[in-house]
Amino acid sequence: MNEKHSIVEIWVYLSGSPLFALFITLAAYQVGLSIYKAAKQNPLANPVAIAIILVASIIQFVEMPYSTYFEGAQFIHFLLGSATVSLAIPIYRGLSSLKGRSFPLLASLIAGGLVSIIGAVNIAKLLGADSSITGAMYPKSVTAPIAMGIAERIGVSPTLTAIFAVTTGILGAILAPFILNALGMKAWWQRGFAIGIGAHGIGTSRAFSIHPEAGTYASLAMGMNGVISAVAIPILYHLFN
Amino acid sequence: MISGLVQILLFQSLGELVSKFALPTLPGPVIGLVLLIIWLVLRKGINPELALVADGFSQYLGLLFVPAAVGVVLFLPQLKANALAIISALVGSVILTIATSAIVVRFLSPKPTETGQ
Repeated sequence: MNEKHSIVEIWVYLSGSPLFALFITLAAYQVGLSIYKAAKQNPLANPVAIAIILVASIIQFVEMPYSTYFEGAQFIHFLLGSATVSLAIPIYRGLSSLKGRSFPLLASLIAGGLVSIIGAVNIAKLLGADSSITGAMYPKSVTAPIAMGIAERIGVSPTLTAIFAVTTGILGAILAPFILNALGMKAWWQRGFAIGIGAHGIGTSRAFSIHPEAGTYASLAMGMNGVISAVAIPILYHLFN
Repeated sequence: MISGLVQILLFQSLGELVSKFALPTLPGPVIGLVLLIIWLVLRKGINPELALVADGFSQYLGLLFVPAAVGVVLFLPQLKANALAIISALVGSVILTIATSAIVVRFLSPKPTETGQ
């Protein structure tokens, strides 16, 4: 009885400080990374997805409201802004390896960016998704830190946007090799660039693990897509809503 | 490492300021990102401290999405009700996006380079 009492006290203390939220977030990500490594970097074993499922299950299990969890985990969340600024470095590295390819790349970026929005929003609408879902589909093809910033600006849920963006990255990393092989794409820089537009962060890290040139062009595509989308999506969104 | 972090936070702050007072439609960090690219182009290079911090961020970028994405617990019923639409939209748009980007870049490139495989 006495012992049980003290465990409750410890729990009350821990769950009231940011420590618990920080701990389960980092621990879950650590578990995700270990599983990802054990699965030989299979995209299905995505460490971010594993961490999200683990943390969501834990806070449901201990009946911690999401707002309490987020209050603690906001220290990690805050760094998204800094990580967004850091994207300047891979973009700059990519820019110096352009070698007169800017016209086809820019055209590809605009075409791919538009198709991703029009495709996602209209398929969701056609199948009867409600407007909070279709709204969050607008920024989902942009790398998550920028996508969430855009979501806040246009007034759709940053959470739904983050979930759709992460899922898009995972799907893109899995499907890209099949799509690109079916189209007979051979040049690494072209393959990488298409992956960067379609599968942003998760696709880019996959591209880097396959070929350095593919990775450089993927991160260039991801970054440029993010910057252009941050300007274009609010305009497109208000045009159609 | 501290100097790299200071540079990132400086550009993030500049971005937030520009966003607040001049360009409210753009998120502050995106403006910070553009300002940092311009700065790197002007001084023609990345200093190693900055590269260290930026590479650290991109290596563990995924971790930073977790707190926000755990908010999925608030949307579970809505996601379930719209599951078919969401899955179709995501899978469909991923295939269309990668295919379109690939086809456009390939057919606009001057000569198909056969460097692959």
